[in-house]
Amino acid sequence: MTSRTKSLIGFGVVAVVLNLVPTVVESLDAPSFYVTFMFTAFFWISQSVSWNILTGYTGYFSFGQGAWFGIGVYTTGILAAKHGWPFLLALPVAGVLAGLGGLLLGMIVFRLRKQSGEIFALTTLAVAFVLASVARLYSFIDGGRGIFMTGTPLPAFLGDFRTAMFRMTFVVAFLTLLTAFLLYESRIGWGMFAIRDDEPVAHGLGVPVFRYKMLALGTNAFFGGLMGGVWSLQIGFVTVEDVFNIRVPLFVILMSVLGGLRHWMGPAFGAVIIYALTDRLNSAGLEDLNQVIIGGLLIILVLAVREGIYLRLRARWKPALAVFVLAIGVWTVFDLGSSLIWDFFYASLLTVAVALVPLKRQPDTAASPASEAMAASDRSPP
Amino acid sequence: MNDVLNQAIVSGILIGGLYAVMSVGISLTWGVLKIINLAHFSFILLGAYVTYQLSTTLGWDPLIALVIVIPGGFLAGVIMQVFFELAKVDEFQSLIISFGIFIIFQSVTRTIWTADFRRIDGDTNPYESMSFFVGDIAVQVATLIAFGVAVAIAIGMTVLLTRTYFGKAVRAIVEDPEIARAYGIDVRRVAVLLSGLATAFSAVAGVFIATFQSLSPNMSFGWFGIVFPVVILGGLGSTVGALGAGVIVGVAAGVATTEWGPLSASLVTFLILIAALLFRPQGLFTRQSST
Repeated sequence: MTSRTKSLIGFGVVAVVLNLVPTVVESLDAPSFYVTFMFTAFFWISQSVSWNILTGYTGYFSFGQGAWFGIGVYTTGILAAKHGWPFLLALPVAGVLAGLGGLLLGMIVFRLRKQSGEIFALTTLAVAFVLASVARLYSFIDGGRGIFMTGTPLPAFLGDFRTAMFRMTFVVAFLTLLTAFLLYESRIGWGMFAIRDDEPVAHGLGVPVFRYKMLALGTNAFFGGLMGGVWSLQIGFVTVEDVFNIRVPLFVILMSVLGGLRHWMGPAFGAVIIYALTDRLNSAGLEDLNQVIIGGLLIILVLAVREGIYLRLRARWKPALAVFVLAIGVWTVFDLGSSLIWDFFYASLLTVAVALVPLKRQPDTAASPASEAMAASDRSPP
Repeated sequence: MNDVLNQAIVSGILIGGLYAVMSVGISLTWGVLKIINLAHFSFILLGAYVTYQLSTTLGWDPLIALVIVIPGGFLAGVIMQVFFELAKVDEFQSLIISFGIFIIFQSVTRTIWTADFRRIDGDTNPYESMSFFVGDIAVQVATLIAFGVAVAIAIGMTVLLTRTYFGKAVRAIVEDPEIARAYGIDVRRVAVLLSGLATAFSAVAGVFIATFQSLSPNMSFGWFGIVFPVVILGGLGSTVGALGAGVIVGVAAGVATTEWGPLSASLVTFLILIAALLFRPQGLFTRQSST
């Protein structure tokens, strides 16, 4: 059995197990915020994994996740809440519109005479601001009045609101991960990595550079918009300030940089850790500290753990797993945390600490080639 | 001729001076040191809030705040550059790291001054309402002073870059840092000084913003949409270019505001950015260089 088939079977098993979670939580009479916690985690997983398809695979750094997210939110908002479309019909439209927005941006930016990652990054930063002012300007979008999403009817087979959110976010996150995985393992993925490593050489070797970059940007925007469409329900009252702010791009960047841009799983990993961290900080009443910690983490991570935590943990998975299990065990047995989420939070913090410990002292210059070699060596050819 | 349009053009030219002061720091560090320093937005914001605070609690004239803000900004720039040098960041890392710094300062500003709008009281701030008429066109003194400062910075930097040893060193670094180092230029020292200078310019922009606008921590996000078109259009590292581009963006935004309402301004500046990237990626005001 190839590793690819194994992974695909893994995907199937995870899908079945996770799909049962809301039912199990309900029958165990456990607090329903477990379900909320999980579907918010799915939201961030999907956002950061889709961002990574562009930025991690092709190397074009994007601040534009908020724009795709926002297009998705407003599309379902306008179609479902204002025009009474069935929600599940509006959802794919959200993804497609965001994807088209991504392709439109790509048509402009990827055709510039002077190709540069920095220019691309700053242009994506500007896109969200422009969309925000367009949304404020036109009353058929928002016009400064906001859109009420509460009371949008959902099909009965999805269950109550929480369960429905869980199922929808789960499906989108699953599709995002599957796409990221299939791309990673495919010839197209290899082409994208070649663009990231050296675009002129990739072009010279016959990689269809423009098409692959468009594909990456379009896929990123599509899933960002699709999940944004689902998320409009959770926002409840959609306003320009809530949607087109710096929160989504900021968190997505942080999660992916933490998890690691060089592996399809990295951002999903980072998403869970960062979301757990902020969720716990907020519930401890430390919202003000949140941004300071996030900013500080970003700086440290960029300087200290360039390849991301996922690959580091993979390289030393035995001690990491041991620490995680031990921590969960100790916390549960001595009842230190007030809930399962706290236990999980402390355990993951300790595990992350394992990844941060530098085992071998590497000279400065050797640090990045070593990590590249590491990233390359754990992949098998398709 | 249309009076409203004339007014918009004159106001746009003047506010373009302010845009130039806001952008010149980012343009210099990006063009010369290859560091995209988003933290400059934090120092514009901090400069504005410090001015507000000095005027409000001590009753200072806002322009006297320059005495505090300029050295403060210089010091901040020096510290940042020392950090960047020690950490050996590349252009791309600098973007993410300074984004982290920006986020931290954003939160700090919100904690100290809250998210409410703050405005210097009219009693201590004579510049806000002061204006005079040239024909039918009103000229706001606050923006006129900012424009004068922008012109002074452009001239001063041009003299500094063309007439002094420091300027020669800076130009050598732009050409090739390695060769410059080989010829005995202390690249690190020049970089630190230049970063201090650039950050001081940004902080000065903050002082002028405080003289005629209400402050809120989130306004810095809106500046992204103005400063980047100016920096790209003016050409990286060009102070004269920043002034020219600031005026173009200011006039375009001003005319758009009078013709289609205030919200269209950011759309127009974005279109300028795209047009600049498409047709003159090296900037309007720089000669086709070696790149």
